[in-house]
Amino acid sequence: MIAVNNIRKSYGKVQALDGVSFTIDKGEVFGLLGPNGAGKSTLIRMLTCLTRPDDGSASIAGHDVVGGAAAIKSLVGVVPQENNLDRELSVEENLRIYGKLHRVVNQPRKIDEVLREVELTERRDSVVNGLSVGMKRRLIIARALLTDPAVLFLDEPSIGLDPQIRRQLWEIVRRTRKAGRTVLLTTHYIEEADALCHRIGVLRKGKLIALDTAAALKEMVGPYVVDQLSEDGRLLQHTARSREEAHALARSLENGCTVRRTNLEDVFVKLTGERIE
Amino acid sequence: MTLHGWYPVFLREMLLFRRKLLKMGYLVSAMLVPLIYLAVFGYGLGKNVRLNGGDYLTFLIPGLVAMSSMTNSYTWVASALNLNRLYFKTFQLLIQAPISAGAIMLGEVLAGMVKGLFAASLLIVMGLCAPGHFQLTLPMLLALLLNCFMFASLGVVTGMLAKSHEDTSTYNNFFILPMSFFSGTFFPLDGLPALLKGVIYLLPLTHTNILIRKATLDNSAIISLLVMVVYTLIFWFVGSRLIRRYSE
Repeated sequence: MIAVNNIRKSYGKVQALDGVSFTIDKGEVFGLLGPNGAGKSTLIRMLTCLTRPDDGSASIAGHDVVGGAAAIKSLVGVVPQENNLDRELSVEENLRIYGKLHRVVNQPRKIDEVLREVELTERRDSVVNGLSVGMKRRLIIARALLTDPAVLFLDEPSIGLDPQIRRQLWEIVRRTRKAGRTVLLTTHYIEEADALCHRIGVLRKGKLIALDTAAALKEMVGPYVVDQLSEDGRLLQHTARSREEAHALARSLENGCTVRRTNLEDVFVKLTGERIE
Repeated sequence: MTLHGWYPVFLREMLLFRRKLLKMGYLVSAMLVPLIYLAVFGYGLGKNVRLNGGDYLTFLIPGLVAMSSMTNSYTWVASALNLNRLYFKTFQLLIQAPISAGAIMLGEVLAGMVKGLFAASLLIVMGLCAPGHFQLTLPMLLALLLNCFMFASLGVVTGMLAKSHEDTSTYNNFFILPMSFFSGTFFPLDGLPALLKGVIYLLPLTHTNILIRKATLDNSAIISLLVMVVYTLIFWFVGSRLIRRYSE
């Protein structure tokens, strides 16, 4: 459904994307994990026809992001990182304008549907400025779903939200996944990528340094981790290929150690040498 | 180039404009500058001035209509587009919608026209009520419509080019403000030195001021009309191209 081939983009001396390639199948939820400045948003802007690549190519459903932009715009829904709602218009007016821009047929019914989906029906006449942060995020998702997009792009959908609202958003994404849409999700919340994505790509400094399922990535770095507290109070982490190996390692280390299953954050630290902030 | 899809762009601006209209601050700000000019130059300094056998107010009001329609059409489009692009990021929604650059341009320009015509209509009503011989003519209506379209198109160019909101003020100070004063709004251009006159005749507002004061479409009116059309086409072409080539 989505094919990215050796794509590059730089802003002055900063190489935002440096030869990134991957494909996403139809109906797949694909996560891009990486710290701030890794190139995640640039990639989404490129795939949604907002930014032109310097080199390489990308296509959605066979349409090139440069040459076939018109066709792509009818296929995708975008949830950007920032709030780009019209703050002085009402919830319904925001949806109505978006629906007209995308020539949504049977618009009143579709607006009712998406408002129900994100539980904002009772706020349809509220001006956006008066909504909470979580409601605004849900409205942006509703807007993206209004066109019944074949591909949904979610750029840091839950950034700045409290855990309860974040989980509400996850439920919406899960329902979207069940509806058979292809989803590309960027996040720097490890837990989010683990909970929602079929496959995860790890992006660092514009390069895709790993790509697989969460389970395979954990297996790749070692399925067990031994946490060791050093004498100067630093947390040292060692990966192990098996439970037995991990316990043997824990016994051999001098300070108190704990053994646990590897999580995606461990994968990230192992692959990049840094923690995700 | 298809212009299909301009309506939601226009509708969005109109919904926002309606909200602004409900606030008294907008009405006052749209009226304040021309009212001050009218009071200072028309009723104050110009009270005893006569031009071409007529009173100064009859000369001034069409000039203020041209100036006011220019600033409102231009400033609202330039400022809104720039803010929407750089700060609110709502312009990105238009780029990501399956509509052409021409449709975005047309929607923004028509919205700018409405704002310019709204400000001008307040002045026209005042002119019709004021003592003197101010009257609506066909060249005036033509000049007004084209002026709004032309400067709203220029507003798109500025809104797309300006790298920050402060930049739009810089463009305003270097281009729009001097043009307001030197294009025949407040005084006739006949007595100016030839060189200065040549420069002033290159400015688009000069031709609006010529056309807007004509009773009939004579030869000089048609020349000014053609100059305005050429400027409009240039601004339209540049604005559409900037939208079409937009990339973050």
